[in-house]
Amino acid sequence: MNMILNIACLGLLTIGIIIFFGAAIGVLRFPDFYSRMHAAGLCDTMSTICLLMGLALYQMHDLSLPNLLVVGKIFFIVAFISLTGPTSTHALIHAGYQRRNRPPIRDSKAKEGSE
Amino acid sequence: MRALGTIAVILTGALLLYASGDFPAWGEPYSPANDSRVSRHYILKSFEETSVPNMVTAVLADYRSYDTLFETVVIFTAGIAIISILRGPVDKRVRLRRASEKSLRQSNLILAQTCRLLVPVIQMFALYVIAHGHHSPGGGFQGGVIFGASLILVALSFQLQTALDRISEKRAMILAGIGVLIYSGIGLTCVLLGSNFLDYSVLSKVLPLSAIEARSYGILGVETGVAFTVTAIMFAIYANLSSHGRMKGGL
Repeated sequence: MNMILNIACLGLLTIGIIIFFGAAIGVLRFPDFYSRMHAAGLCDTMSTICLLMGLALYQMHDLSLPNLLVVGKIFFIVAFISLTGPTSTHALIHAGYQRRNRPPIRDSKAKEGSE
Repeated sequence: MRALGTIAVILTGALLLYASGDFPAWGEPYSPANDSRVSRHYILKSFEETSVPNMVTAVLADYRSYDTLFETVVIFTAGIAIISILRGPVDKRVRLRRASEKSLRQSNLILAQTCRLLVPVIQMFALYVIAHGHHSPGGGFQGGVIFGASLILVALSFQLQTALDRISEKRAMILAGIGVLIYSGIGLTCVLLGSNFLDYSVLSKVLPLSAIEARSYGILGVETGVAFTVTAIMFAIYANLSSHGRMKGGL
């Protein structure tokens, strides 16, 4: 039982770290504001959820009431992150779009629209 | 130039790392911070004397209450300073109206709904942090900042006017004053009951509490005052800065 828990916990943590790494690379390497926000927003939320779930699993090694309370608190954080992360990404992109910072779409047919 | 900057950063970092080797070990009982007469008294006696498990809160709001009182006054003064610099003369022609339904509809739906979900939770958590300063990290300053942030969140995700409908500029400033007044009022009550300024233990004469419990509840009262001031000043500073002192439009 402990073995399974450990493997699941480690797996979640590893997935979270890999996705986080992807977010960092995306923010550095993508060409424009929108694709950078796309990388940061998606990967940040997913990786944080993975990492926190891994930590919650780690807490379940011995099931006592205080440990379960910690797990509950971690789930509250997960709910909070999954609400606020996408919303803040949306707010940033919306603000950028309203300032007429149009996404630079490379279209093979219409080249005159490039900024 | 960039290489020079990098070298400076590396040198400073190395110096800091080298210097940190001279720190006393973590939890070292004979380090200067732990072994002085004053800190030994706090560590050994603060729970007996104030019945507050969180030593930091006991030191902050009981032993060094004067300090915290004037910290609160500093925050109050900062708010007053920002308002007196930024706030322009009140324009009588522009009447502050409630945010119209149309402008509310213009605000972003996703932001508005998330804000509606989160703000009550954030405010509950702020009250918890204020009241739980006795047992865990927290207290008036932190809770006040969280509460102020929830008001700023309303102003950000709707409009400044929406937040000003909930807590107007005048009401915010009255609240800030009330906070300082609560703090110094508790201190003055202690003087009137025949003890030193901010010596909460005499509050047991008027409250059904023992002298030690009175110190604990005195801290709670004082923290509430701090929270009032910090909340109001946080919001007032945001409102003035974001609207260039005109109190309309905003970010």
